[in-house]
Amino acid sequence: MKKFLLLTALFGALFLSACKDEEEAKDPGTFAITFDNMALINNVQQQLSLTTAGNTDYPYTNEMGQQFNITLLRYYISAIELDGPNGEHFHDHMEATAAGAKGYYLVDESKPASQEILLTDVPAGTYNKITFTVGVDSSGIVDGAAGGNLDPATCNMFWNWNSGYIAVKFEGQSPVSNGGVGGTETIAGTDPNGMAYHVGGWKNIPGGVFVYNNKRLSYTFDTNAKVESKLEPELHMVFDVQKLFGGHHAIDFTGNHNVHKPADGVDVANNLEHAFAYDHIHQ
Amino acid sequence: MMNSRHAALEFIILCFNFFTMKNLLPFLLLALVFGGCQKDELPSAKYSFVKPAHFPEPVYPLDRNPVTKEGFELGKKIFGDPILSRDGSVACNNCHVKGVAFADPQHPFSIGVDEREGLRNAPGIANMAFMKEFMWDGGVHHLDFAPPNAIENPLEMDEKMTHVLWKMNQHGSYPALFRKAFPDMGDTITSPYLLFALSQYQNMLVSATSKYDHYKLGDANLTANELEGLALFEQKCAACHSGILFTNQEYRNNGLDSEFADLGRGKITESPDDMGCFKVPSLRNVELTKPYMHNARFKTLEEVLDHYASGVKPSATLADELQQNGTLGIPLTPTEKARIIDFLKTLTDHEFIQDTRF
Ligand code: HEC
Ligand code: HEC
Repeated sequence: MKKFLLLTALFGALFLSACKDEEEAKDPGTFAITFDNMALINNVQQQLSLTTAGNTDYPYTNEMGQQFNITLLRYYISAIELDGPNGEHFHDHMEATAAGAKGYYLVDESKPASQEILLTDVPAGTYNKITFTVGVDSSGIVDGAAGGNLDPATCNMFWNWNSGYIAVKFEGQSPVSNGGVGGTETIAGTDPNGMAYHVGGWKNIPGGVFVYNNKRLSYTFDTNAKVESKLEPELHMVFDVQKLFGGHHAIDFTGNHNVHKPADGVDVANNLEHAFAYDHIHQ
Repeated sequence: MMNSRHAALEFIILCFNFFTMKNLLPFLLLALVFGGCQKDELPSAKYSFVKPAHFPEPVYPLDRNPVTKEGFELGKKIFGDPILSRDGSVACNNCHVKGVAFADPQHPFSIGVDEREGLRNAPGIANMAFMKEFMWDGGVHHLDFAPPNAIENPLEMDEKMTHVLWKMNQHGSYPALFRKAFPDMGDTITSPYLLFALSQYQNMLVSATSKYDHYKLGDANLTANELEGLALFEQKCAACHSGILFTNQEYRNNGLDSEFADLGRGKITESPDDMGCFKVPSLRNVELTKPYMHNARFKTLEEVLDHYASGVKPSATLADELQQNGTLGIPLTPTEKARIIDFLKTLTDHEFIQDTRF
């Protein structure tokens, strides 16, 4: 009889504590992020449309008034963190193994699914700030070959000669460019108007000589995003291609339009902060 | 309560019965048999990475890609397979030949598909597991990322990694070999596993059994001439060719040219201080790896020593060690040169180039 009483007490306690937990801490949820690649046409922000080499329509204009079109746009987003006003914090899980990569997202304008990132297991709470790295930092590359989005054979973002990942790859054409680009996916060296901006450089060694072009960027939201198991908040970030060529430093398409090494990519990399922007949140 | 206590007791009695002498005997015999085998190396140890006692810790993250017999054998097969090249004509071991410590025995500049001439001399591939960076300019920071440079270089294999993988996935034996070597791999062969296999093979290529190594470990003597050469080497060369690997793994300009056709390290760091600097090469097996320097400038060790003594050319990035007290080069008499060469030949590792595993 005594034993029976003890058992009931124990089970009762267990049961109660389980209920209490459910009331206080809510289950983690998901947080979706969409990267909308945009540009202004006649002062109206519009979704980009890619074209193919040889097309002489130039729908976009850079800060210097030079026209251009786009044949390829691709960039890495990694090491995403979310923060909230009450100390909420989420750091996306990062992993780079032969079997695959986690936390490294490759946003490609030609692949709509790649523009949507779904973070899972985000602790319940409100969030009003996102931080991410444009590019792949040392944690994704120092230890050697990895799969998934980091697969050097398939990502089309890997420099063999200076091993590392390109952070942002842009290819396109401009009537003011004088072509002759090399090492590109979509533009031939014979294209008289070709342009290639392959921005890379990941060795972040204080006092070192290497050019580091990855960028760690933070944006705050004007409305809080609420995360819990049954909610599906969705953040829309904008990537404005025209600001890639302006904002911090106006890029002149008659200058070096054949960028394939870190030092040449510095100006474009410094524009990234302005090219990305918070747009809105769907709750 | 009563029941469980009883069960425990029963179990103890059972164990006790089992381990009476009668039952132990066969185990003891077995242990003896296996213990006896240990004199000859266990087959598995032959195919795992063993750091030589007098070497530093390896740089390669072996826990991430440990060497296994299956992975090593696969890597060896791939290293010798021209499937890696566009037209099936060039394998890694066209340019990295075992008999000369995995350097190129014939060509000053390596020769790729369609007899295309490369831009640099192929270095030997030994002790890669201990290297921080690869290539003459150190542009590759990890051994896994060395192969794509050959495979996708138009002057070498002129192929695409994706196409190599496509060919391997269609192949009669590769898919099964990959699955055996990498049980966690899915159905398709992907590039990290291809690169892992090649790294496993190359990590095993450890050269640590030259005459000099045996001398270091106390089981061989050097001749008087060799010892004299060693002393001179330590005094005049070891600032750069230092330690047991005979390289400090830095990038220096050793005065081959005053103007640089090849920017070397400068191409990677984009710093003016590094223009015309190249990785200090290991001198292990140097007797076998001629011609010498990134641009194959010298055919013999005698020419190399003549260069250091009297051929060093001035430039903004020339190493300080090669312009002491306002004179270019390293002062060396003809005898000193000969003694240094005597010593360098003690770095030839015959056991390494004859190792049947490789
Ligand atoms: C056409 C000749 C050629 C072929 C084929 C070739 N290599 Fe090389 N290898 C070279 C040359 C030349 C270098 C030096 C390149 C440089 O410094 O830019 C080199 C350098 C290397 C290095 C760096 C060595 C060091 O000490 O830094 C490694 C590792 C290597 N090769 C592995 C391979 C593998 C693996 C393959 C097959 C996938 C291969 N090579 C195929 C010519 C070749
Ligand atoms: C200031 C640093 C430095 C010193 C001192 C130095 N070397 Fe070198 N050595 C180098 C560098 C750097 C290279 C590669 C240069 C290149 O290819 O452009 C090299 C290349 C060599 C090579 C060619 C190896 C090959 O595989 O191609 C030999 C042999 C050599 N050195 C021997 C010596 C000897 C012997 C001495 C002493 C008399 C010496 N070195 C002193 C930096 C040095």
